[in-house]
Amino acid sequence: MGRYILKRLAAAVPTLLAVLTVVFLLVRVVPGDPAQTILGDQATAEALAALRARLGLDRPLHVQYFEFVFAALRGDLGNSLVSGRPIIDEVVAVLPHTIDLTLAALVIGSIFGIPLGIWAAMHRNRFIDYVTRIGSLLGLSFPVFVSGIFLLLVFALHWRWFPVIGTSSSADFGDRMHRLVLPAVNLGLIMAAYITRVTRSAMLQVLGEDYVRTARAKGVPRRVVVWRHALRNALIPVVTVIGLYLGILIGNSVLTEIVFNRPGLGKVIVGALNQRDYPMLQGLLVIYCFLIVVVNIATDLTYGLIDPRVKHA
Amino acid sequence: MRISRRAFTAGAAAILASTGASAQQQPKKVLNVGMAAQDIGRLDPNYATTTIDLVVVGWMFNGLVRFRPGSMNPETIEPDLAERWQSSPDGKTWTFQLRRGVQFHGGYGEMKAGDVVFSLLRAADPQRSGFAADFRAFDAVEAVDDYTVRLRLKENVPSLLGLVTNYHGGMIVSKRAVEERGERFQREPIGTGPFAYGELRARQSLELVAHEQYFRGRPKLDRISYRFIQSDASRDLAFQNGEIDLMLGRQEQTWADRVKQIPNAAVDVFEPGELSMLHINVTQAPFNDIRVRQAVAHAINREELVRFKGADVSRMPQSVIPMGYLGSAQAPLLPFNQERARALLREAGHPNGLTVRVIHTQLPSMLAGMQVVQSQLRRVGINMEMEVVEHATFHAQIRRNLSPIVHYAAARFPIADTYLTQFFHSRSIVGTPTAVTNFCHTNIADAEIDAARVSTDANEQRRLWGEAQRKLAEQVCAVPMYEGLQVWGRRANLEYGHPLQGSLSLGPMITELTHFK
Repeated sequence: MGRYILKRLAAAVPTLLAVLTVVFLLVRVVPGDPAQTILGDQATAEALAALRARLGLDRPLHVQYFEFVFAALRGDLGNSLVSGRPIIDEVVAVLPHTIDLTLAALVIGSIFGIPLGIWAAMHRNRFIDYVTRIGSLLGLSFPVFVSGIFLLLVFALHWRWFPVIGTSSSADFGDRMHRLVLPAVNLGLIMAAYITRVTRSAMLQVLGEDYVRTARAKGVPRRVVVWRHALRNALIPVVTVIGLYLGILIGNSVLTEIVFNRPGLGKVIVGALNQRDYPMLQGLLVIYCFLIVVVNIATDLTYGLIDPRVKHA
Repeated sequence: MRISRRAFTAGAAAILASTGASAQQQPKKVLNVGMAAQDIGRLDPNYATTTIDLVVVGWMFNGLVRFRPGSMNPETIEPDLAERWQSSPDGKTWTFQLRRGVQFHGGYGEMKAGDVVFSLLRAADPQRSGFAADFRAFDAVEAVDDYTVRLRLKENVPSLLGLVTNYHGGMIVSKRAVEERGERFQREPIGTGPFAYGELRARQSLELVAHEQYFRGRPKLDRISYRFIQSDASRDLAFQNGEIDLMLGRQEQTWADRVKQIPNAAVDVFEPGELSMLHINVTQAPFNDIRVRQAVAHAINREELVRFKGADVSRMPQSVIPMGYLGSAQAPLLPFNQERARALLREAGHPNGLTVRVIHTQLPSMLAGMQVVQSQLRRVGINMEMEVVEHATFHAQIRRNLSPIVHYAAARFPIADTYLTQFFHSRSIVGTPTAVTNFCHTNIADAEIDAARVSTDANEQRRLWGEAQRKLAEQVCAVPMYEGLQVWGRRANLEYGHPLQGSLSLGPMITELTHFK
């Protein structure tokens, strides 16, 4: 398995390089000037030119590119143009918040989504199924910033169970978890909606298989048929969706991060883009791609745990 | 041991009463501020340009002189790190006597003339300052002794005291801290102000602590937690929930009205007014014809715009520079007159109106106003097509002359020279090596602006600035629309320690006197 992971990581290097090249070129094609961002709108053209030279932005594009690639290969992603801090420090500062939120949303999404999907499949075309389907459709179509504000209004402002500000400087684990609840629920419910729908359709397919019918005919209890025989086989597409969605969630939770005022990778990426912080954006996207690769490998490994027929060479 | 219900109740009541009493005796000592930000940018005064940075830098640094807290009127400038000063008869040599015993934050020692010389020379150096152009008249800055600084100018400036006030490059930094900290100084600076850098919690908050040795006395607040809350809605909710005490507001009447309804809440509206203007490129057709520019000016209904923005948070402009600046004058702005606008368009050869394509930022606060302008122009036959782009793109494109009309909102140092130079002097025309923000491409007021800058006669200076504004208004180089004021919400029991009428840092000045009642 170790060899398999190493092979997958090695295969990701060309992908990372390709992403890096595209991002490097794209951010420079888009109009906007990091020097203007730093010096503000009162800066003279002379001051802007001086700062561009100091930041190395006046050098030919290919020089900047190769310098960045070689530095990245040495593990040095450079410094943010805006804050001057090492990019790796900026990422390390926000990554735990992103991981907290993503994992909590995953747990909530799975806890609600998988049983609901199974329940709906078992009651196909009955009232429970209709309610679940409508509920999941609502979850998918509700914008996260609307549901976020709604959660804040009800649980923070009206009932005062949770704070509005979703992060704390306190080292207290309980406080951290308390502040995580609302943003995690906000993202988790959407994830639950996805998982419900995929689980339902996968279960419907598996429940119609011959071996399930045989098991039932043999008198195996319904509970055992569903949980042991059907669910295990239905989980492969569910895990695929969770893996894909988890990758998206790492970068796309930006709206939830904004509404609940949490630091996070998505918010930093958007901020770097708005400020034309080229090295920051490049570094962040390299890290983001790396995380996606890791999530994909973890997904593949999970297949093996669910289905022993899946082998990793 | 058993405790009776009565004894328990009495005990609990006593504890509650004592807690309440101590809470009454000890008012809150921590100020939680909500700012629309993701993070701090740069706290080095030479590079602090955004509202996010300016507000907090204003609490951490002093200048040789300062605007009286709560005011941005140059006539209220008073001693700060300098106790007194004198200038030579020609106004080109200034000598400042420094206060003794002023301590820098973090044990960086006493502020002396060497720090002042270092700070001002650093502010004038384009390699180390974004505001170097402001200090280009400096010839020499020298320490006469530890507590005396002499400043020599190559030429007169409109306000030397304005340059050494607690604003931008005028703020005094610790020489030793800058040299020791290097790039780290950008985020962890050392000043002499009432509050010192405590800790930066990345993407969450900046924590400031009271400067125990502040020369005006220890601040009444112990700490300021400057929290980055990007979403307007979340900031409002956090305020409503009691999690923050002071917050950046929105320049909207509805916002101000809503916050006023919250118990123990107050809304502060103060200077500077950010003047929203349409800057018209007078060299590009069809706007190289003054009749078309006049038509645009006559089509703009300023009263409607102010009603739209809100009477409490905006006001009618009176010139091509904001009101209240030293040298601002009533300029002959063309009145709202749709008939006249249509007639002018006909005279200029556009009987069926015309279409103009402009680039505009997606910033909601600016875009909403521009949409009203768009409808006003349409009523006289000018079809303004807006290409809405994100803010950084907007700034890049308007500097490449891609938009014949530029909607720009700005406040500047409150002396007419700054605004006139940056927006209307030919040296500032965009696309030139000395460009700043002259989007009109005009040079008609250069002579007056230049003459006023070096004039030593205050009356003559004002006359020249007034003349420049008259010319620019008559030639319709720009069309003033409204002035948006600074709007903040706070707990009603938060006392600044001064009446808040204006603040150049764009946020309330939190001083050693600020406290909770």
